[in-house]
Amino acid sequence: MITVENLSKRYGNTTAVQDVSFTVEPGSITGFLGPNGAGKSTTLRMLTGLTPPTSGRATITGKRYVELPNPGRVVGVMLDAAAQHPGRTGRETLQLNASLLGVPKTRADEMLEAVGLSSAAKRRVGQYSLGMRQRLGIASALLGDPAVLILDEPANGMDPEGIRWMRGLLQDFANRGGTVILSSHLLGEVQATVDRLVVIGGGRIVANGSLDELLAGSGTLVRGLDPVALNQALTAAGLALEPLHDGALRVDATAEQVGRAAAAAGQILLELRESDGAGLEELFFQLTSPTATAVAA
Amino acid sequence: MAVTEIASPPTTAAAAGKHRAVATSLPPARGQSFLRLVVTELRKSLDTRSGRVLILAILALAVAALTWQLTHMDAGQQQFDSYLAAASTGVQLLLPVIGVMAMTSEWTQRTALTTFTLSPRRVRVQLAKFVSAIVLSIVVLTATTVLAMAATALGGATGGHGSSYAGLGGALAGAYLTTALNVVMGAAFGAVIAQTAVAILVFFIAPTAWALAGPALFKDNANWLDVFGAFGRIAERDLHGMLPETLTAIGVWIVLPTIVGLWASSRREVK
Repeated sequence: MITVENLSKRYGNTTAVQDVSFTVEPGSITGFLGPNGAGKSTTLRMLTGLTPPTSGRATITGKRYVELPNPGRVVGVMLDAAAQHPGRTGRETLQLNASLLGVPKTRADEMLEAVGLSSAAKRRVGQYSLGMRQRLGIASALLGDPAVLILDEPANGMDPEGIRWMRGLLQDFANRGGTVILSSHLLGEVQATVDRLVVIGGGRIVANGSLDELLAGSGTLVRGLDPVALNQALTAAGLALEPLHDGALRVDATAEQVGRAAAAAGQILLELRESDGAGLEELFFQLTSPTATAVAA
Repeated sequence: MAVTEIASPPTTAAAAGKHRAVATSLPPARGQSFLRLVVTELRKSLDTRSGRVLILAILALAVAALTWQLTHMDAGQQQFDSYLAAASTGVQLLLPVIGVMAMTSEWTQRTALTTFTLSPRRVRVQLAKFVSAIVLSIVVLTATTVLAMAATALGGATGGHGSSYAGLGGALAGAYLTTALNVVMGAAFGAVIAQTAVAILVFFIAPTAWALAGPALFKDNANWLDVFGAFGRIAERDLHGMLPETLTAIGVWIVLPTIVGLWASSRREVK
């Protein structure tokens, strides 16, 4: 269980994260989604006690991170797979952490096996590919058998096979009652893995809900011969709408309402359909564009 | 978009409740004792090639100095303190680098990210690094001492005039004390300046610059901040009636950077 309450971080005049609140429940995988620079990593750093928040509070299983006596036994963290000493072997990296966590040395080899790095155990991390370092980072996060996982861009640098493997691993972890939050800017990866989404843009939460809810609420998609005139006609008819980046409009109304309003204004339609097929990518662009207003799902 | 997979959203059974362990039952979670932290830091200093090379290079320097001493022997009885002085000059110069690197390498290599997520109480970790650096330097100095003793014996045997270990206790006490102070000073500089190269440069240049410029500018008053003078007096175990000056120099060059370094590294943002 992760609880984030009104977390903010300012650097001088710049606000990196503003009033961010969300919870991650046991038994679920939450995708923390946003474009680069949206405040994902800053939020995860505040969650793990690496960056002091300007205001607000974050707790894991009811405690602030720094209050956990041996955090690695409660929460597995991977914030940057590249941040490993290149001169240590994979096995030594894990054994070092195992001794801090108070778990047997053999656990290091078990985890190397679990992430498929047994054959590279004696190689130095400097020779690992980014995908291998991600696997090592995940092995390190799992070392203390935590109930919570916090992973920043875990799919980064992984091949499709690695991504599928990780998806299975995380879903298995959540099915056993584990709590997972993973950040990403790769929408397709998140869509196939997560149950819930927290979308951050410009340091603020712009959407927070289950994948189904967020996809269902996306209304009707319409494209006209004259987008500007169609926009005016639908607005005049009292329909709430939002222009999409490709010239289409997303309207909070049924297809019939949109069709009638367009016909009344004599607008020619090229496309009219339920926009749920537009998928997460569309939602992502809408929610994180600078003009987007906060959407509470 | 690179990955667009057509997959239905997983229907994860929200089996809220106690997370079950995957592997065989692990021992119960306990806090990290300070001893555990020190042992971990010692291991980190030795489990990389660069760490081992630094230690071996320091010992190689001692061996080289002793070899030179043996091949350029004075006539007569061989004195242990001159062998120790020969062996430990380079060692004492380089050991503080162990202190500096104990504090800086995690920031340079970015492993601070892992270290401080596993042990979020940073001041404890930093103190463990100080202790680990002192322990390591004492081990290296002891190895150097043993080498110096062996060389003295060898010199005495081959020279035919025997060897003398007069003043052994005093020479060793001075050497260990100044080495420990030097290493703590190096570690303190490393804690303040988290960049290995910059910290080493400042560590070597700043006190030397003061030793050169201070007397010219402030005459005898420069003694108050002359840390080399303080080390010299401590090594001789005779403060020449300059206790306040010695304490001030130690306070400014060692205690103050230690406090500032602990404060700075506990607040520094881990990138």
